[in-house]
Amino acid sequence: MKISLNWLKDYVQLDASVDEITRAITFLGFEVEGVQPTGAPKLEHVVVGEILTRARHPNADKLSVCTVDVGPAGGVKTIVCGAHNCDAGNRVLVALPGAVLPGNFQIKESKIRGQASAGMMCSPDEIGMGSDHSGLLILDGKPALGTSINEALPPGDTVFDIEITPNRPDALSHLGIARELAAWFKLRLMYPQEKFHGALADEGPRPDLLAGVRVDAPEDCPLYTAHVITGIKIGPSPGWMQERLKAVGLRPINNVVDVGNYVMLETGQPLHAFDARKLGGNQIVVRRATDGEKIVTLDGKERTLSSRMLVIADASRPVVIAGIMGGENSGVSDDTTDLVLECAIFKRQSIRWTSRKVGLTSDSSYRYERGVDPHGALEAAYRAIDLIIETAGGRVVGPAYRIGGDIPWQREIVVTHDYITEKIGFDIPAEEMRAAFEALELTVTREEETEHPARGPAWTVSIPSWRDDLDRPIDLVEEVLRLYGTEKIPVTAVTSPGLLVDDDPIVLFNRRVTDYLVGHDFHECVNYTLRPAKEIATWVSQTAAQELALANPFVEDQSHLRPTLITGLMESLRLNQSRGVTVSRLCETGRIFIEHNGQNLECAAAGFIIAEPVGARNWLRREPADFYAVKHHVGAIAAIGGVDLNWQPLTPVIGPYGWQEGHSACAGDMADGWVARFGLLNLAMVKSLGIEGKVYAGIFALRPEKLSAAETRRRYSDFSLFPAAWRDLALVVDTAMPAADVEKTLAKVARAATGNAFSVEAVSVFDVYQGKGLPDGKKSLAFNLVFRSSERTLTDDEVNAAFTKIQRDITADGKIAIRA
Amino acid sequence: MQDQLSALLAKASAELPGLKARPEFEAAKARYVGPNGELTALMKQMGTVPKEQRPAAGKLINETKTQLQAQLDAALARIGAAELAAQLGPAVDPTLPSPDVGPGTYHPLTLVREEMCRILRKVGFVVADGPEVETEYYCFDALNTPSDHPARDEKDTFYFPDSARFGNVSKKTPEEKYLLRTHTSSVQIRTMLKGPPPIRIVSPGRVYRRDTTDATHSANFHQLECLYVDRNVTVRDLKALLDYIFASLLGKDTKTRFRPHYFGYTEPSFEVDLSARHLPKVKKEWIEIGGCGMVDPTVFEAVGYDPDIWSGYAFGMGLERLAMLLYGIDDIRYFYQNDLRFLKQFA
Repeated sequence: MKISLNWLKDYVQLDASVDEITRAITFLGFEVEGVQPTGAPKLEHVVVGEILTRARHPNADKLSVCTVDVGPAGGVKTIVCGAHNCDAGNRVLVALPGAVLPGNFQIKESKIRGQASAGMMCSPDEIGMGSDHSGLLILDGKPALGTSINEALPPGDTVFDIEITPNRPDALSHLGIARELAAWFKLRLMYPQEKFHGALADEGPRPDLLAGVRVDAPEDCPLYTAHVITGIKIGPSPGWMQERLKAVGLRPINNVVDVGNYVMLETGQPLHAFDARKLGGNQIVVRRATDGEKIVTLDGKERTLSSRMLVIADASRPVVIAGIMGGENSGVSDDTTDLVLECAIFKRQSIRWTSRKVGLTSDSSYRYERGVDPHGALEAAYRAIDLIIETAGGRVVGPAYRIGGDIPWQREIVVTHDYITEKIGFDIPAEEMRAAFEALELTVTREEETEHPARGPAWTVSIPSWRDDLDRPIDLVEEVLRLYGTEKIPVTAVTSPGLLVDDDPIVLFNRRVTDYLVGHDFHECVNYTLRPAKEIATWVSQTAAQELALANPFVEDQSHLRPTLITGLMESLRLNQSRGVTVSRLCETGRIFIEHNGQNLECAAAGFIIAEPVGARNWLRREPADFYAVKHHVGAIAAIGGVDLNWQPLTPVIGPYGWQEGHSACAGDMADGWVARFGLLNLAMVKSLGIEGKVYAGIFALRPEKLSAAETRRRYSDFSLFPAAWRDLALVVDTAMPAADVEKTLAKVARAATGNAFSVEAVSVFDVYQGKGLPDGKKSLAFNLVFRSSERTLTDDEVNAAFTKIQRDITADGKIAIRA
Repeated sequence: MQDQLSALLAKASAELPGLKARPEFEAAKARYVGPNGELTALMKQMGTVPKEQRPAAGKLINETKTQLQAQLDAALARIGAAELAAQLGPAVDPTLPSPDVGPGTYHPLTLVREEMCRILRKVGFVVADGPEVETEYYCFDALNTPSDHPARDEKDTFYFPDSARFGNVSKKTPEEKYLLRTHTSSVQIRTMLKGPPPIRIVSPGRVYRRDTTDATHSANFHQLECLYVDRNVTVRDLKALLDYIFASLLGKDTKTRFRPHYFGYTEPSFEVDLSARHLPKVKKEWIEIGGCGMVDPTVFEAVGYDPDIWSGYAFGMGLERLAMLLYGIDDIRYFYQNDLRFLKQFA
């Protein structure tokens, strides 16, 4: 909200500099978003002059030498000027020698590049009128030569743009801010003195102007007051009022409307004036709207109302959306002579709901939503009546209405010096705390000794009706601290007792996975969680996609939760490729959302892609990545997540996924709490994204709860120190038969063959062959078998015997043959 | 015999240095010292040597054998060295670049987050985590945010349809809606509900606001919050933590200052400014870095802690903002584009 310094000075004698006041407002807890000087500051020896001639400075291209006539202030002066607009004929402000400009800039006669200069022509920022430094301030309207700046320009003011936190509606007014500053600077707050105190004109009631006021919805309108002022004359408001309104960003309209705004900005209490003659039936009814009822508000828009909304109506139609905006049908116009002045209290929640529903906010609704002092309404009405009579004439006639208003307010908080000290952790003398309360008009009604007199007294603090935010002792701690100065909180070393807890398992998982992937040359990425619907459909079923949708997306391409990390990485890949940046390995950790049994599971996930490094040309060739490279990385990540992929069945990926059939695999199930997918991304999908080259990818996701399970400690198992015996065996099987199945069968047969005599330490495939020398549809898998005993060196004979038996038994079911 | 031995040695020293490969060598070795070798043959002649000459002859043979063995060893060493040399190929040009990709890089947000976590870990904070999909209770109600508070508006917060179900995100009441958390403070609530004080956690994480994406706003961004609950925690302790964090991050002479402010879940509340002299591209003396305060008694009541016994503080800040200030990055969108030229600058 904008606050004028001149205006503040009506209520508090502020002598402090603008900087000190800015600091005070800031440390009182209101952020100062801007400080704008307006008008001209008080300056001496700065006068109006007219540029007579302009010539180039003989020694400087960018400077001009001007002759300037300052009239009675000293005649014609020669002044060097650097501005672009120092053209002959312009009337400008001239700072003569002896002038001291803002920032303690002293003007003297001087020589500039060898040329004498008897003063300076001023740009707006040089005389403290804003930040414009682009050229001289050119004066309009030919003010007389030699006139002082303070006569030629409106008087200076400073406007603070202050952000008022939602807990402090009392500060949404000049009086409110003045109260705070008075407390800070230890000054007295001067309230405006009302002349009108409810006395009505002698001529008797005027039911022809207002016959009745009825409040049908007292729960939403605890107080409604209406005063009738007759015989007013609409015209412009006085200059001082217009200046103030303009200073804080309001457009002056007419005396009545301006008074309403003025009093609202002074006291924080919104007011509304009706033209009495436009109130149908001379009635005011405060009621709920009927569904579908319509009103054209002052901004010219038709609004449709509903039955939860509060309106001010006349006998037949709504004339105001209560507390928010008036209707065109009842406002003050140039020919208005009789006014009904409304000053009311509306319920915050009602105003907020309606304002949001109608999509309409105003200075009035802003204040009602946050809360208006329930006991300040009548005084604000009287203040407005004073100002209306002062600026528009007229007199208050009966009947005056006041409906409701018995809003209970009595609040006392008991707080001890000890309590406050305990919360802040350092000492502030008791007198200083008490003074802080009093300065903020939080009256201390009682001061008592406590059980521990040494720890200071207990205070009973009476809370004024405008400070609804103060309700508990802790709230008073903040008040003390605010006035003490939060900059003065003493510096101490941090204390740190250990709590014997470790980081969350998800955090450890993410950290270890990222370390692993970055250690394997991946670049860690961060992508948005919200993805477009179209993309989701490539990765999950339609029903699953529906589950991921937001109710209220902000933009179309961020409408769904991500079910995978791959799409984001692909987008990063595409962006880099399109910018001509060669990139191959990208990774990300983060949350993804996986549908399972009709509900979403929020999962921790780690994903990566390995793309062909398009555009990279190297003097030395490296083998491109392949399926088994990503299998390796997924296995490593799964292991970090507590899953040993070696023992998990792998199946081909099926469904509407982005994976290439026959070149990808998956493992796990959300029923077990985890899932892994890896392999080649669908070539067509990759191409459709505008990405060049093949992309391999892998992702591992798991339910966070799964990580929480305590890890079982590994147990050491003994290993043999005797030499191993090796045998190789090539087997021929159908091409479709997975190597893992053959390996499993072979291992089983081998274990049976060796029995308890010695062990089969490893069975591993070392060659895969298909083609010449083998029948169609067959492939050869060559295995290496490692035998070892934990007790002795094996003899050739016993190994051979076992190996022979293996060769016989492996062919038993007819699916596996020995390669000749 | 002496002549024969000398001849043998001469022959060996002529032949052995010329041998190129291991098989040749093995053959030559057999010819000299093998069971049928020439030296072996000569040794067998010892029997025919007259008895009185035997010591001299024996000595001679031994000397010859030693010399021959030395020659063989030298030849073998030479062949071995040649074999290794053959494995080498031409010398490398160490100035040529490696064709391998990498090294990998950590994202700047990770770097900043981890640095903050390390700093906080040193003073006893452990990293806590919680779901990004939250419910109204954990995100708002428990944090003293009334139901008609503007922050809860559908204009500002992402909600899920009433039909949405999240199997591993618990609701407090069946009626409440799922939403995307607007701050990581929900982690504080879940942590406090899990167990009794004392608690000292830092919760970094992703949060969501329904906002236009521009140079300083992003639909999702990251926060980092600290929560400490214990007996007799004071404003002064909170200030000490903030001073410690930023002195650790930016140097001992870095200062912080508190400005009174308002947050629903803390009382009193402050905004935190940081002395900006160590930050690149910041011309102001002070720069706002986060918000903090003493945990509001209402929040303690919501999680079942007795506010007469327990007190605590909370501090929160935006990670992107911190990273932007630390590195001098001027557009938040760069964090989410993952241009390699950006990512490589921070490792």
